[in-house]
Amino acid sequence: MAKPSAPFEFKQCTSIIKATGMKARDLKELRTLISIIDDASIFHHTYQYFLKGHIMEYTNDFAHWAGEGLEERALSEHLSNIDIFAYKDISELRAKLLAQIDTYSEKFPEPREAMEGDEFYFNETVTLVFPVGIRVKNLAELLMAIKHVDAGSIYYHFYEARVRLGEGVDDFSAWIKDVFQKTDLVKKISGIDLFMHNVEGIREHLLEFLEDEVQRDMEVVHR
Amino acid sequence: MIEQYSGIAPQGDLILLRKLGDIFKGRTVLNVNSTRAGGGVAEILQRMTPFLKSLGINARWEVLEGDAEFFDITKKMHNALQGNSEKITPEMWRHHRSVNVTNARKLDLDADVVMIHDPQPIPLVEHKKTGKWIWRCHIDISNPRREVFDRLGAYCKKYDASVFSVSKFAQAMDMDEFIIPPSIDPLSEKNMELDAEDISETLEKFQIPPDRPMILQVSRFDRFKDPVGVIEAYRDVKKYNDCVLVLAGSPATDDPEGEMVLKEVKEAAADDPDILILMLPPFSDKDINALQRAATVILQKSLKEGFGLTVSEAMWKGKPVIGGAVGGIPLQIVHGLTGFLVHSVEGTAFRIRQFFNNPQMVKRMGEQGREYVRSNFLLTRQIRDYLSIWHSIENRGKDILTL
Repeated sequence: MAKPSAPFEFKQCTSIIKATGMKARDLKELRTLISIIDDASIFHHTYQYFLKGHIMEYTNDFAHWAGEGLEERALSEHLSNIDIFAYKDISELRAKLLAQIDTYSEKFPEPREAMEGDEFYFNETVTLVFPVGIRVKNLAELLMAIKHVDAGSIYYHFYEARVRLGEGVDDFSAWIKDVFQKTDLVKKISGIDLFMHNVEGIREHLLEFLEDEVQRDMEVVHR
Repeated sequence: MIEQYSGIAPQGDLILLRKLGDIFKGRTVLNVNSTRAGGGVAEILQRMTPFLKSLGINARWEVLEGDAEFFDITKKMHNALQGNSEKITPEMWRHHRSVNVTNARKLDLDADVVMIHDPQPIPLVEHKKTGKWIWRCHIDISNPRREVFDRLGAYCKKYDASVFSVSKFAQAMDMDEFIIPPSIDPLSEKNMELDAEDISETLEKFQIPPDRPMILQVSRFDRFKDPVGVIEAYRDVKKYNDCVLVLAGSPATDDPEGEMVLKEVKEAAADDPDILILMLPPFSDKDINALQRAATVILQKSLKEGFGLTVSEAMWKGKPVIGGAVGGIPLQIVHGLTGFLVHSVEGTAFRIRQFFNNPQMVKRMGEQGREYVRSNFLLTRQIRDYLSIWHSIENRGKDILTL
């Protein structure tokens, strides 16, 4: 049973974009700017990519631009394959991005230039975090809440939490493990490939696993 | 007023609006632009001012007054900021400044946050006494005439922050530059829900067959909107699929080039009875709404574009949209997800045929497009962003603000 003292409070985040005034026209300039730009900009173009509507070919803005702006498909594949959650901080992630670009540049030293207007614009964000007024005490309530909260809330608890909590843990798994000790459910949630879904896809998976668990809990005769 | 958007705008946006409203309750926000009616800026301010008031914020909206000469000068500035060659004499600069001095004496510029829209009232910042001042630039100044930008830039530096619609419209300046895209109002006549009767009425009025697939482009008769290219794409589609093409625009009485483009469009359409060129009078928002809702596929095949909000209008109606990959259109159309971006007449024809032959794709992209607009391009999001910026300026240096 849930500890009554440990409800799960839903929060949400919203980001306001700030221009840095820096832009790259080709891969060389992209590399230079990635090496000097603030951590906040790298964070925005990688971790916050999941907040945006996107197709599944890319997992961050750099890969997206390499594919669509420069039409350097192989490079976009390399950049998309970077697991941003595998690095302990932005400087490690930055080094990995630079290494991928360097490896590619060795093979293809004369990459093309983006068309005018298609340059890569380096941005950063100010993020506002706020409670959405939903507090749940058990898995059935969690299921209902996940059905109805905004995508920004799922993003905050599922993606952003991994940076905040570290070690690849999301808020839902942390709470379920801590309060209910349901390790199998936690394992299922942790097993969701977060790069292969947008936020709505993540919501569907969470609902599927939670519904199954709640149904199991309600059944008198265990399966 | 916020209640009217409940169930339409994302719940999180409304919650955040209320929270920010609580923070700024009783404080004063002043918007200054140069026209009370006409144009996107006035349209937003007409809705935003009562909305902010309903949150308990003392919102005011002042309009700069100027003579014909002043507006001729600021039109030149506008064109020069967009990269056109314009001669602005020292006397013109003096007049621009002096009109602002006169207005500054008349206007109450005392507010906690002052948002100045576009170049016309930009010198008002010289009369700043209190509060945070923000310059809100609605135009694309990515390739300005340097001498004009430098003069206006001197005023810019006196602001606490600036706001642009798209990253690529901005200029690197030594100040906080926020990016806030424009928005559509889901409750306006152009975007509100319509019943089947309203839609039929419009179709009857313009003698559009309701039972045939319809391609629609709503835009001024302007070469940058490529209406002739749209006709060429339609002709290509017609070889394979039955359809009608509707080009809906406003009369271009004050624009000699508009008349010329309209003539070219009529020539290109020749005597094809399936091409309908509609000249809509001002205040035709409900008809535009009905046409968009009746269309099978909506185009915005621009060759050059500002933000292109007609794309969001179409997506809000659950329609598949094909747009030129220019200006703000790629921000609205996520290629392959909420519509298709195209670069040629051939590409446009190909994507129209793809939609005509894939009703499932039409449905899926239409739904995704509507949700994308709900999350990103509704009025409530834009007001939320303005309040967030205000909060951010008052908490300078913090990347994360917990409410």
